[in-house]
Amino acid sequence: METITLLMGGFEQALTPTNIALAVFGSILGTIIGALPGLGPSNGVAILIPLAFAFGLEPTAALILMTSVYYGAMYGGRISSILLNMPGDEPALMTTLDGYPMAKQGKAGEALALSGLASFFGAFLATIGLVIAGPLLAEVAFLFGPAENFALYAMAFATLGGLASRNQGKAIFAAGLGLSLAMIGLDGPTGSTRYTGGHLHLMEGVDFLVAIVGLFAITEVLMFIEHQGKESAIGIKVGRITAPIKTVWHCTGTMIRGTAIGFIAGVLPGAGASLGSFLAYSVEKRISNKENTFGKGDPRGVAAPEAGNNAAAGGALIPMLTLGIPGSGTTAVMLALLMTMNITPGPLLFAEKPDLVWGLIAALFIANIVLLILNIPMVGIFVRLLMVPSRILMPLVAMVAFAGIYSISGSLFDIGLMVAFGVLGYILRKLGIPAVPIILGILLGNQMEKHLRRALTISDGELAILWSSPISISLWAIAITGLIAPLLLRRYLRPRNQKS
Amino acid sequence: MLLNLSRQMVIGGVVGIAAIATASTASAQFRPSATECIAPAGVGGGWDFTCRSVGKALSDLDLVPGQVAVTNLSGGGGGVAFASVVSGRGDDNDLLVAASTATVTRLAQGLYADATADQVRWVGSLGADFGIIGVAVDSEIQSLSELMDMVIADPSSVAFAGGSAAGGFDHLKILQVAVAAGMDDVTQVKYVAFDGGGEAVTQLVGGFVQAFSGDISEATGFIRSGDMRVIAVLSEVRLPGEFDNIATAREQGLDVVSPNWRGFYTPVGASQASFDYWSEALKTIAASSEWQEVMTNNGLMPFAKSGADFQSFIDQQLVDIETLSRDIGIID
Amino acid sequence: MSDRVFGAVFLVLALAFIAGASQFDVPRFVDPMGPKGFPRMAGAAVALSSLYMLLRPDPNPSWPDRRRLFEIAFVVLVFIGYVYAMKPIGFVAATAITASFISWRLGSRPAIAPVTGIIIGFSIYAVFHLALGLSLAKGPWGF
Repeated sequence: METITLLMGGFEQALTPTNIALAVFGSILGTIIGALPGLGPSNGVAILIPLAFAFGLEPTAALILMTSVYYGAMYGGRISSILLNMPGDEPALMTTLDGYPMAKQGKAGEALALSGLASFFGAFLATIGLVIAGPLLAEVAFLFGPAENFALYAMAFATLGGLASRNQGKAIFAAGLGLSLAMIGLDGPTGSTRYTGGHLHLMEGVDFLVAIVGLFAITEVLMFIEHQGKESAIGIKVGRITAPIKTVWHCTGTMIRGTAIGFIAGVLPGAGASLGSFLAYSVEKRISNKENTFGKGDPRGVAAPEAGNNAAAGGALIPMLTLGIPGSGTTAVMLALLMTMNITPGPLLFAEKPDLVWGLIAALFIANIVLLILNIPMVGIFVRLLMVPSRILMPLVAMVAFAGIYSISGSLFDIGLMVAFGVLGYILRKLGIPAVPIILGILLGNQMEKHLRRALTISDGELAILWSSPISISLWAIAITGLIAPLLLRRYLRPRNQKS
Repeated sequence: MLLNLSRQMVIGGVVGIAAIATASTASAQFRPSATECIAPAGVGGGWDFTCRSVGKALSDLDLVPGQVAVTNLSGGGGGVAFASVVSGRGDDNDLLVAASTATVTRLAQGLYADATADQVRWVGSLGADFGIIGVAVDSEIQSLSELMDMVIADPSSVAFAGGSAAGGFDHLKILQVAVAAGMDDVTQVKYVAFDGGGEAVTQLVGGFVQAFSGDISEATGFIRSGDMRVIAVLSEVRLPGEFDNIATAREQGLDVVSPNWRGFYTPVGASQASFDYWSEALKTIAASSEWQEVMTNNGLMPFAKSGADFQSFIDQQLVDIETLSRDIGIID
Repeated sequence: MSDRVFGAVFLVLALAFIAGASQFDVPRFVDPMGPKGFPRMAGAAVALSSLYMLLRPDPNPSWPDRRRLFEIAFVVLVFIGYVYAMKPIGFVAATAITASFISWRLGSRPAIAPVTGIIIGFSIYAVFHLALGLSLAKGPWGF
């Protein structure tokens, strides 16, 4: 088979001692960058680009370094999610929901090991998907016009219902708040300024990393001050540092579903890893949450989003390579790197530059295998973080969060905003209003609006365009089921809880 | 976000590498050290391409020591970068900012708030990217006049996709064509703004819009792969090389020429020596064989201007675009 | 009660947000929906759900007592002070002071807390600036 030959050629190019050393170096660095709040995969890759030049790396070696940092950061993001309830970056957001409760139950090591395995599973299968169907899958992008994309986003928000809060009203509030915050800044299609109050800082809108770090890390510090660290995972016995075979077996179906959903979300340009992990989690919860264990430390709630976000990271490479459309911040930076090496991605890249593409794919496999191996000892090391007393650990992570945001944006305004989000997050948490929908709103709001407006421009304002294709109709059907089903279930199955 | 990422590239950049520039010409007084190029938009767009390709050429030709750090400072169609250069980097000798006809368009339309073109110095251009109008390869439309007949008969039947905002450069092209075709109310033309040429072409190929208005460099991949048919190029004469089978709009009786030059401006307070240095450096690049190859790969045409020549070209273009925008009704 | 207060505050904010949309400058060439439509929809979602919280509040959460609340407010003030201090005294000094304070509030002995803070300040500087090459605010001493 031709594919196999090409892939072998890729490995031949990639498997040199230098390249493997680079992969190990990149994986460790990426994991650390991913775990630090405020620095995510896109920053990780951006930080490393100058380094690749400084070393004078040739294209394959540079790509190996970048992909191992990319995936390292995807793996690393979950560490602070699980141990500290602070997602290091946006794809790791959903992992907090069950990962942190597991840590509080003394199962931090288990959660880390399982999520590492799920990450590998998702990334590895997605890379195989890329090998088998890369250029073919690029065609999926041609099926999603503005209306279909809008329906996809609407579905994402509709499945939010009851995701992180028992009170639907509060979940809607949080999503609405996120979407509203996303409106701040310059309106792309017309150039009107919206809600900036004349601040140049706000022209670019509210950076979602600032919101994430504020709503999670700073809020967590304030909760600590309130409880003096009594209700946290810190100081708890860490228990085993592997996942029991039974748990892994129990999660196999979850990982397969998470991978499939994440991969598809990744392939769609503009959806990206965060939507992948989010949908993987919410679908898994709908399917598997029979005993109401999700959100309370269910291992499947850790496996699903981690398989999902890593699969999405792999899938996102497809539109980047074949259409030149960067689906996420990280792929945008990778695109920049390719262009600097005089490689212009596009529909003919697979045909014109096979050695590069297959070298990249080989690099993806290598990075993931290296990460899997590294993660076995790493889990043991990271879990020890919880043994550090909170009076040292908490000021450290708070300050790292500040340094992370400041070093990236160089703006005092941003870190001030981060403190404001921290205070808001504290109040929201007290009132039981979930923070996750806010982040999603900020993350997806602008794209969602643009898709809607484009669809309505094409149809001259006719709303019917929004449900005029089989794809959009199916997406709306899922959205409506997702929105109504929990309400009906609650009404008919548990009438006593209606008022709570 | 992209803005954020790239500050790092700047910081981490170049420092360690020690190749001293062998400045061939111009000033002995100015030597570039840590040169930065600001791309006023996200990664993957035209400005980003300008910074990266020219940055690489500067470094390959030893016109700068080490690498040129590229910063993506997106927002406001280049307005954020323009404002921050004017207010914060006004005397930086080691700064180039990517610019194009789109920059001049927005300045002419007064879309950079109070900013004016004389707040920066226009150092030079290296090539031009000509506008094209394209349709999907399975479209029935074969020529620009056919397309414009459809638009005039029923404006809502044709949606144009482009990578610039409403009133921006891609939109303006199609409005110019509509004016030339004798359309009375050009506000009727349906234009859908996407986040860049790549996304717009994808939507065209997917069949969600009927036509594409953009630059040829944004679409070369899709033209070569046979997904897109270009029905007109907005240049004075046909493009050389592989694109010489594309008819100009002028040939089809619609006299619209839309060169999107690619070049740079520098801060107004930068030293004259540095200005001369960069203007010479750009000339050197434009003449190099490396640059010829970049242009061929990306569908760019020669368009090298620098110094006073470039300045007077910019002045004229500002006037032209302002007049046009006023006539069409984009500005009052 | 907490929900009611919160709902009332955000109802007002959301209505202001919706009203604010009328202030946008809209150019002549504009899509059918324009820049105002979506903010109004998002604002309406916030307004309606705030109204819901105002009318059907959950039971009150357990707020910390006055002393703790004061302490949390003070930490927030320290953070704000940190933001303002960063440029004048530099990242490391500002971070060391803030970290010492938090460490003290979380139970470090007053003699140990500053040591913790200074170590934290310098280690973050080492990792972010020296190892990763990121820029942090420079103080009068160059760090």
